[in-house]
Amino acid sequence: MSSYTVADLREVEQRCQQIAATELGLHTQEIVFHLVAPEEVYFAAANGLPARYSSARWGAQFESEYGRYRAGQGRIYELIFNTRPVHAYLMEGNSLVAQTLVIAHCLGHAHVFEENRWLGGVDRQIMPRVLSAADRIAEYMGAHGRDRVEDFLDAAHAIAVHQPQAQLLRRAPAGEPEYRPRRYDELFEAEVAAERERLREERRQMRRRFPREPARDLLGFIEANARGLEDWQRDVMSIVRSEQGYFLPQMRTKILNEGAAVIAHQEICQRLFLAAGQYWEYEQLNASVVAPRHGEVNPYSLGGELIREIMRIAADADDEDRERWSWAGEVDPWLRVREVLRDYDDAALLREFLTPRVCERCRLYAFERSARDPRLIRVSSREADEIREVLVRRHASLQIPVIEVVDADFRGRGELLLAHRHDGVGLDSEYARGTLVEIATLWGKACTVRTIAGADPDREVWFTGHPDGRSELLDEHGSPDANAAM
Amino acid sequence: MPVVSGSGLPHDDGRRDSLHHRERLRRKITEQLRGRIGEEDIIAAGPEKRIRVPVKGTRHWRFILDRDLEKGVGQGEAGPGDVIGPPGGRAAPGDAGLQPGEELYEVWLDMDEVEEMLFSELRLPRLKPKQAADTQAQHVLFDDIARHGPQVDKKATLRENLARNAREGRVHLGGIEKPDLRYLSYREAPIPRHKAVIFLAMDVSGSMEADRKRMARLFFYWCVQFLRRRYEQTETVFIAHTTDAREVVEEEFFSRTESGGTRVSSAFEEIERIQRERYPAEDWNVYVLHVSDGDNFTADNARTLQLVERMTRFCALVGYLEVDPYRRGAPWGRGSYKLSGFYAERAADLDGFVFACAEEDRDLWPALKRLFAADEVEAALR
Repeated sequence: MSSYTVADLREVEQRCQQIAATELGLHTQEIVFHLVAPEEVYFAAANGLPARYSSARWGAQFESEYGRYRAGQGRIYELIFNTRPVHAYLMEGNSLVAQTLVIAHCLGHAHVFEENRWLGGVDRQIMPRVLSAADRIAEYMGAHGRDRVEDFLDAAHAIAVHQPQAQLLRRAPAGEPEYRPRRYDELFEAEVAAERERLREERRQMRRRFPREPARDLLGFIEANARGLEDWQRDVMSIVRSEQGYFLPQMRTKILNEGAAVIAHQEICQRLFLAAGQYWEYEQLNASVVAPRHGEVNPYSLGGELIREIMRIAADADDEDRERWSWAGEVDPWLRVREVLRDYDDAALLREFLTPRVCERCRLYAFERSARDPRLIRVSSREADEIREVLVRRHASLQIPVIEVVDADFRGRGELLLAHRHDGVGLDSEYARGTLVEIATLWGKACTVRTIAGADPDREVWFTGHPDGRSELLDEHGSPDANAAM
Repeated sequence: MPVVSGSGLPHDDGRRDSLHHRERLRRKITEQLRGRIGEEDIIAAGPEKRIRVPVKGTRHWRFILDRDLEKGVGQGEAGPGDVIGPPGGRAAPGDAGLQPGEELYEVWLDMDEVEEMLFSELRLPRLKPKQAADTQAQHVLFDDIARHGPQVDKKATLRENLARNAREGRVHLGGIEKPDLRYLSYREAPIPRHKAVIFLAMDVSGSMEADRKRMARLFFYWCVQFLRRRYEQTETVFIAHTTDAREVVEEEFFSRTESGGTRVSSAFEEIERIQRERYPAEDWNVYVLHVSDGDNFTADNARTLQLVERMTRFCALVGYLEVDPYRRGAPWGRGSYKLSGFYAERAADLDGFVFACAEEDRDLWPALKRLFAADEVEAALR
C-alpha cells in the first residue's frame, strides 16, 4: 500500500497547491501535513485538538471510534486543525491516491479558515493555551483526585456551549431605560410625567435584579458569581469555556467548510488523475466520502452539492434563476463561490441555495419522530421548502437551546433561575433534569429552568436540579413562590 | 517542510484515556447496582442470566429540545409517510442501546460480573484457621517491598528517592542511588479453608408478612452468593422457627407461614444441635444468619443472648437482620421491646456478632456491608 515516501507526498502537495492557486483561485497558505499512525489520528480526533488534557470523556470517544476503525467499519481519512499555520494529519497506510485526495481536500478547508468572516474570531494561536491547560488539569487531578476533576469537567461541559457565539453583530448592553425628551412634550405634561414614573420604577426593578440583564454566557456567569468554588474549579471552568469558544464558530460553518473541501478535492483530483489512470480508485474513494446517510445528512455530500449549485447558477442559469439572482449566468463561478465562502455561514448558505435541485441530488427528506415509537422516524416530506425550514433552523441554532440566567438569588435563597427562550418547543425533560444537576454542582445550590411542556407555549413547566443529585419537575401550579420571583 | 513524518506530540494516550473511561464506567455501574440489590428481578435473573443495567451516570448531559418533537433531515429513497429505523447511519435497526448520537445508555452484565463488582467491597469476617487443610493452602501474594530482589519496584523506588531528597533538602525527584532501590517481594498468605456451612434461620410466624419475607429472601440470597464465591464448598441449612424450630427445605422455607409466637432461642438451639452432629467446627467455617421482625417473647431474650454468645465462639460470623418495613418498632433504641433494641443494649460489642435493621430494600446494601465489613486493621491500612 504505502509504496511512497514523504518526498512523494511533498511533491503531491506542491502540485495540489499549484492547481488550487492558479486554477481555483484559492487562498493558499502553508499547511503542515503530518504523516502519523492511525492510533494518533483517532486520538487527536477524539480530543478535537492534539495534546489536549487527559479525560475519560475523550477516552470514550476514542474507544468507540478507534474500535470501529479496527473492526473495519469506518475510516477517518483526514484531520485538520484551524491553527496558524494550519496543521493536518495524514494517516499512515493510506494509498497515495487517498493521501492526494486528503491533501487536496485540506486546501479547501485552509481557504475557508483563512477567508471566512464567521471564523475571523477564532483564536488560531490556541495551541499554547491547550498545552498549558493540559498541564494544569493533570496537576489538579494529582492534587484532588482524578474522579473529582472528571466529575467537575463533565459538569462544566454540560453547559459549555451556552455562550455568545461567533457573532458578527454583538448586542450592546441595554443600559438603564431613560426618558428621551420629545418635541411636543410640554403639551402632554401628565402623560410625560406618567412615563417618567414608569421608567423610574423599571430602573428600580432592574437595580434590584441580579443579573440586571439575562446572561447568556452560563459558564462565565457561574465562574464569576458562584460562591465557594475553589481556584482549581474556576480554572477548569474557564478552560472548558474558552476551548469551547474555539469550536463554536467552526460548528457554525461545518457544511460550508466541508463543501469547500469536497469541491477542492474533486476539482484538483480530476485534473491530476484523469491522465494518470488512477481515476477509478479516486472515484471510489470520492463516492464513499459523499455517500448519503440514513436519518442524517452527510455534510460532505450536502456541502459539495450546495457549492456546485452556486457554480451552476453562475455559469448555466435558467430563467427562474435569473429572476432570483441578479448575477445568475453572468459571473465567474469560482469568483462567486469564493464570495460565498467568505461571507456565509451554514444557515445563510442553506437558506439561499438549498434549491429543489440540491434536495433532489442529495436525496433529502424531512422526518419527524414516529408517534408510535420515538426511536423510529417517519418521513414527513420531500419538499424543498420543508426540508429547508428544518435544516436552516437546526443550523441557525446549532441545536443549542437558548438558555439565560435570569435570577441568581432565586427564592431569596441564592438559587439559580434559568429561562429557556423557546421557539415553540420545550426542553427534553430527562436531559434538562440531568443537566440541572450538573449546573447545581457548579453553582453549589439548587438550579431551576423555566420552559414549556412539549410544543404547548401556554403550559409552562419548571425543572429543578439539586447538588445532591436529586431533580424534580414542577408544573405551573406546583411552584407558587417560583412564579412570584419572575 | 509542508509534509513531515510524525507530529512530535504525545500520541499513545488514547488508550490511557479509554482505560480511565472504563474505570469510570465501572464505578458508576457499581454505584447503580448497589441501589438495585433490593430489586428482585436481579435475583430472578438467576446466576447464568444477564441483566440490563442503565448507566445514567455516564451520559453527557446537556440541554436539548424535546426529543419526541424533534424534526430532522435525512438522505435516501423513502417517501412521505414511511417509517424507518432510528436515525444515525450506524445504528442497526432495532438497536436501542444507543441514544441520539453517542453515549452508551444501557449495558448488559453477567450475574458473575455484577457480583464481582458488588462483592469487591465486602470482606470475610475474622477467619479461624481450620485444621485439616491449612498446611497446604498457601497463597503467594506479591504485595511486599524489600531492599533486595530481582525485580525493581519503580513506584516504591521513586517514593524512596523523593523522601531521601526531601530529607536532604531537595524538593524533586532524581539522582536515584542504591539506597533508594526497592524491590518487589512476596509473602505467603493462608487461603481461607475451603468449606463453609451457612445456617439461615428465619422467623415464619404470622407477623412475618410477605414484604418482610421478600426482604429476608433478598438478604439471604446475597449473603449466600457472597460466601459461595469465597469458599470452594458451601452448604446451606434452612431453619424455620416460631416458638419451635425445625430444619426445612428451601422452597418450604420461603413459602410457609405458621401461627404462633416467636422464640428465637429455639432456632439457635436447633442450629447448635445440627452443627455439632454434622459440621464440626474444626473442618467447617460456620455462619449463622437470622432474620426476623424482632417480636421475640421478652422472656426468651436472655436465653437467646446466651446462645448467641456461645455460637460466636465457634462461628466465623453470627448475623442478625431485623426487617421492619412498616416502622413498627423503634429499632436500635434502648429499652425497645424489639430484639434489635435488646441486642443494642446487651450485645453491641460482642465480637463475631453483627446485627442490622432494614426498613426498605435500599437498606439491604448497608446491612450487607455491616455484616461483611473490612476489619478495622485492614480499613486503617486502606
